[in-house]
Amino acid sequence: MAYVNVSRDPERNFKNGYLATSLVGMGTTLVTFAKQVFGLEESATVQWPEVEYQYSERFKGAHFLTKRPDGRVRCTACFLCATNCPAQCITIVAGESSDKGVEKFPVRFEIDILRCVFCGYCEEACPVDAIRMGPEYSMAGLAEQKWVYTKDHLLERDAVKRKLGEKQVSKKDENTKHETVESSLPGIHADHSHSGH
Amino acid sequence: MSNQVTLTINNQAITVPAGSTIMEAAQKLGVTVPHFCWHPGLSIAGVCRFCMVRVEGMPKLQIACNTPASEGMKVDTVSEDVKDAHKWALEFHLINHPLDCPICDQAGECELQNYYMKVGKYQSQMEDDKVLKPKALDVGDTLVLDTERCILCSRCVRFEDEVTKTSTLGIFNRGDQATIGTYKDKKIKHNYSYNLADICPVGAFTAKDFRFKCRVWFLKETSTVCPGCSTGCNVSLFQNRNQREYYRLKPKHNPDVNGYWMCDTGRTMYEHLNASARIASPLLSGEQVSFPAALHALGDAVQSVSAEKIAVVFTAQYTNEEYTSVLHALKKMTGGLPKVFVWRDESEKEEDFDGILMRGDRNPNTRGMNDVFKTEGVKSVLLKADYSALASSGAELTLIFGPEVESAYPNMQAALSRLVEMKKTVFFGNGMQEPVNKMWLRMPVKVFAEKSGTFVNFNGIAQKLKANAPVFPAVKCVSEYFSQLSETTQSKA
Repeated sequence: MAYVNVSRDPERNFKNGYLATSLVGMGTTLVTFAKQVFGLEESATVQWPEVEYQYSERFKGAHFLTKRPDGRVRCTACFLCATNCPAQCITIVAGESSDKGVEKFPVRFEIDILRCVFCGYCEEACPVDAIRMGPEYSMAGLAEQKWVYTKDHLLERDAVKRKLGEKQVSKKDENTKHETVESSLPGIHADHSHSGH
Repeated sequence: MSNQVTLTINNQAITVPAGSTIMEAAQKLGVTVPHFCWHPGLSIAGVCRFCMVRVEGMPKLQIACNTPASEGMKVDTVSEDVKDAHKWALEFHLINHPLDCPICDQAGECELQNYYMKVGKYQSQMEDDKVLKPKALDVGDTLVLDTERCILCSRCVRFEDEVTKTSTLGIFNRGDQATIGTYKDKKIKHNYSYNLADICPVGAFTAKDFRFKCRVWFLKETSTVCPGCSTGCNVSLFQNRNQREYYRLKPKHNPDVNGYWMCDTGRTMYEHLNASARIASPLLSGEQVSFPAALHALGDAVQSVSAEKIAVVFTAQYTNEEYTSVLHALKKMTGGLPKVFVWRDESEKEEDFDGILMRGDRNPNTRGMNDVFKTEGVKSVLLKADYSALASSGAELTLIFGPEVESAYPNMQAALSRLVEMKKTVFFGNGMQEPVNKMWLRMPVKVFAEKSGTFVNFNGIAQKLKANAPVFPAVKCVSEYFSQLSETTQSKA
């Protein structure tokens, strides 16, 4: 019967052994340490949470809802994100807007963030740039915390406001009706002051 | 001259009666010719110019819906020039069509969307702005009209003129300013208005009842029979299976029963199916009990009295199978037939007919129930305004099979307060009416969407119901309760 002798590693010698490699590694650590102590090299470690790491603008973190220029929610409750969501974590309840120009808006918009897989399909499906994955990445919390993000939370999120500011207002064309278009459903008002959002 | 003609469509021969159109021949053959304005239940308008086909020997493309089929005609529906014609016709239809699919309830079942995905898919070459027209118009208690989305197929105008004969709709102005609308100071007010939302190939007419409630692609449909009246229209019942929530009904074509339509009263038949409108647990002497406990009490009560001391009050809203099973079980358990009463609403005018579909008999299975009584040898007594027959029957146990569709019994409250005066009353039904809670035993039952069975319509046509998964899994139908009871008891017969 043929056999292979595996009793001895042909690569095995003192140079590849445990002691030598440990010492080489320790040497590298000490050299880097010395360089950083004497200010010859910058440290790659970020002192989180005192210092925040700056991801690129395209980082896809926690969701947020974009706004119209007047501050109301951009979403038209078309359900495409909810349809596209592989984790089925988006719940929308659509309602009739009292604003003549808008017609349909989400009464409720909720994301069960524990079910979300952060695939970004919701953002991709959205025809009106209403939902985006934002710059927020630290989402740790306690078990008793509310893990279903409501519409208000998705709209008015401190982390998003701080990092994006004006960028939370979508720059896409407004999907509102033209002012001259006539509508006659009860509960629809022509001026925006009755918007009720 | 023979009254049949044979033509070939895409090299397949088909024989149709003389005078048929190419469209009808194609439908018979199973070849789909894209169309908007043609509807099998309405007259031919030929206005959308979308159903173009190539007919050999004719210099230009012809519309399939209004070209009569003739002997030896050779029709082609798949050639390149036909496809090209569809593409350009679609481009014209979309010139002023707004892109509000995200907020349009029709999205998902819109013919314009479907054909765009099938034969369109191009970049529009139109450079001018779209014409703006009135949107979200209140045109009646049931419908919302969006004139921008309209493609002027005139199906709704023809429906109003030909089916309901109400003629409230018209097309006003010309060219790109042409809009659909109601005549001045007129509203759509008839019992068939939701059909307009159905036949509208786009989202110009949408139902207020369904407005913004659910996207259609979340809904699964079941073919069943409407329980709203004795016509027994064939319907599709739409349910969101994830939410276990019913949203609407739509008519299904059946030339022998309802044609293509159904009434607005029938459209409300989803409301009593949802959990919020139903009771979920039995109530025994005012206390909530488990289903086995309730059944046990019922079995004891039935067995403790003789057959002639039991009164059974039926409503004609159960299936043939349920009536048979209840009567058989009682016969087995008590050794004889109980006294049978039929409860009808005081206001019911059984012989009424609105001329289109809806009948005064608001019970779906009057005929089936009477058929079962005949085969079982049961003589029933009618309870309408007069309950003295029941009161003087000397019954010690009264089994009341209440109506599933309570809107068909407007005087139900009064009738129930009469029925509750009986000695020991058992109520089967999902009613939340107050006197029901005073009954000795209240049992929830399955609704028409959750059971299989047969309804026989006024004309004697037997139609099958199709069962969906129940909203409350513990709730059974009366035949299941009674067969369970009769299985666990010793036969007296």
